[in-house]
Formats: sequence, structure tokens, C-alpha cells
Amino acid sequence: MLLRGSGLHAGATFSDAAVVDRGAESGVPWGGLLLAFAEAAVANAPDLAEQRQAVMNELGENAMIDAAAVIGIFQAVVKIADATGIPLEDPKAEISSNFREELGLNAYKEE
Amino acid sequence: MAIRKDLTEAHDRAWDRLGRAGTWLNSAEKVSIAEETRSALACIACANRKEALTPEANVGVHNSASDLHPDWVDVIHRITTDANRLTKRWFDRVVPEVLSTEKYVETIGIIAETIAVDRFHVALGLPLRNLPIPKPGEPSRESVASAREAGAWVPMVNPDDLSDADPAAAYAMYEGRGGANIHRALSLVPACVSGFFDLDDAMYLPDAMLRRFDIEPRAISHSQIELLAARVSALNRCLY
Repeated sequence: MLLRGSGLHAGATFSDAAVVDRGAESGVPWGGLLLAFAEAAVANAPDLAEQRQAVMNELGENAMIDAAAVIGIFQAVVKIADATGIPLEDPKAEISSNFREELGLNAYKEE
Repeated sequence: MAIRKDLTEAHDRAWDRLGRAGTWLNSAEKVSIAEETRSALACIACANRKEALTPEANVGVHNSASDLHPDWVDVIHRITTDANRLTKRWFDRVVPEVLSTEKYVETIGIIAETIAVDRFHVALGLPLRNLPIPKPGEPSRESVASAREAGAWVPMVNPDDLSDADPAAAYAMYEGRGGANIHRALSLVPACVSGFFDLDDAMYLPDAMLRRFDIEPRAISHSQIELLAARVSALNRCLY
């Protein structure tokens, strides 16, 4: 939802599909590069150093560090949400119902 | 690597908290939880469970790094490696048989802070911080009178319900926070909310900046931050 909000402010339309689909283009500047870094960091994948270097080369050290921080904190946020069983708040559930359905996110809950 | 000072300081504070007695757990237990959070990532049993069709499959004994009870170790390893397959039925088996609700919540808080700091270091190719040496001291055992069942597995505190019967820490935990369910999730142990969101402010964004799309306080933009956040959540198959 905040991704859409940031797009509205920038006068751009960012694609939610890129969140779940590696092949989709997000429209976010350097989005593909950042997503590849996130994926490698979450999995501690063999190509992590390469993805990190790609972010460093294109966006610089500070951007690489801030991206790593977001990856780190969200890897933790999901544990809190899942282990406490918190529900999605009603207003968020209502606003996000369409794109949750479109992206198949509701299936996460059923697993 | 020149890491932002406020980020390093937030990590320092997290490690300082980790080494001190908490609300319901002593410092040795807290550091042991952090050790188990780390060992879970290399645990064969956890890897086998992750591959199993059901998380209830018998996958053997965990690679344990501590003296914690094996059932507590199982809780830590599951939250660390297979959280999206946790169920209310599993929770009802664990609480209160293995842990009191308060200790369960505090355990989650420690796992979360450890993961946040560790994953940051992994992402940057930096060595993990040494875990702190536990400091002497007793848990405060401050309970929150206004915690209620509110649709989550654990009782939570609605900011509007706080009363004189609650400790000061309960009031402090929501300062500068919107009171969304992710803020309330650990509210049975206010120190966990304050601690985790102290980290969150430095690693993500302070709440007040979330919708300030006209200001970019980081070296990546709001849209880049939110894209990363959403992808990490999706990779973890977390609906929230």
C-alpha cells in the first residue's frame, strides 16, 4: 500500500506484481537490482556478493547499506507477525483486497 | 564501510538490551535465545522440516547451541526458520505448556531483534556481531493490566485502554507509533515493543516518515524501500 502511495506522489504507477513475480517490472527506479539483492540476502545465496556489488556500483554505498537495513528489519517483522498471529487490520484488509487476490497473497494465510 | 551512525548506535542498543535481564527472562536466557536463533539457520532438522509437507513431520533433533529446554529450542527454531507455517493450534500446544504467554512474546522479541541485526550484517557481507556476555540482574516481571484478546494469538494492548494500573513502559511503547497491529503484537511485554521499534526506526523509517513522500531521509527512496519491504515479506510468505 505504501508502495502505491509513493508512486502516486511521484506521479508514477508502480507494479505490485514485481513483489511476487521475478519477471515483472516494478517501475521503481533500480527496482530489479534491489529485488535481486533482497532475494540473495534473504536466502544468503551464493550470488549475494555479486548482487551487493551491483547495488554498490549503480546506487552507491549508502544506498546499499540502507537497502540491507530494510531487508534485515523486514526479515524480522515477518517473524513477529507470523508468530503472534496478528490479523490484518480491517481498513488495510479492505483497501488491499483486490491486489491481495490478484497477486495470490491470500494463499499465504491458508498454508 | 561507512555505516550511518544512528544505525550502528541502534544496533549497539539492541545488543546492550540483549545482554541485560528483560521483563520475564533473565539475561542468560535471552542470549541463549539469540544463540538458538543463529543455530536454527544451520540446523538439519529445521532444513528437513522446511522441506516436509507438514511442519508437524518428525524431523529429528535440533542442532542446539544452548542449555534451553528442547521444547523451547523447538519454538525458537520454528519461529526462525518456518514462521509462516505456524498455526494457532501449534501456539495452543506451546503456550502455556512450554512457555508462559509473556515468555513466549519476549522470546519472539529477542528472535526478531537478533534476526534484524544479523541479516543486515549478512546482506553486507560483514561478520556477525559477537553476542553479549549476560549481565547480572533479575527480570522486572512487570505485567500489563490492560492486555486483552484482540484477534491475535497473544493478548495485546490497545493504546486507548491504558490505565493507571499499567507500568510506565506500557505508555512509552506507543510514543511516536501509530498503534497498528504490528506495534501491538509484542505489547504484552512493552520493552519488546520499544526495543524492536527503536531498531525499526533506524533500519526502516520512523512512523512519522512513512507517508512523508516529499522527504527522502535515506539513500534509497520511499518507493525503493517499500518495494524491498514488500518483496522480503513475500519471500517469507507473510500475509501481514
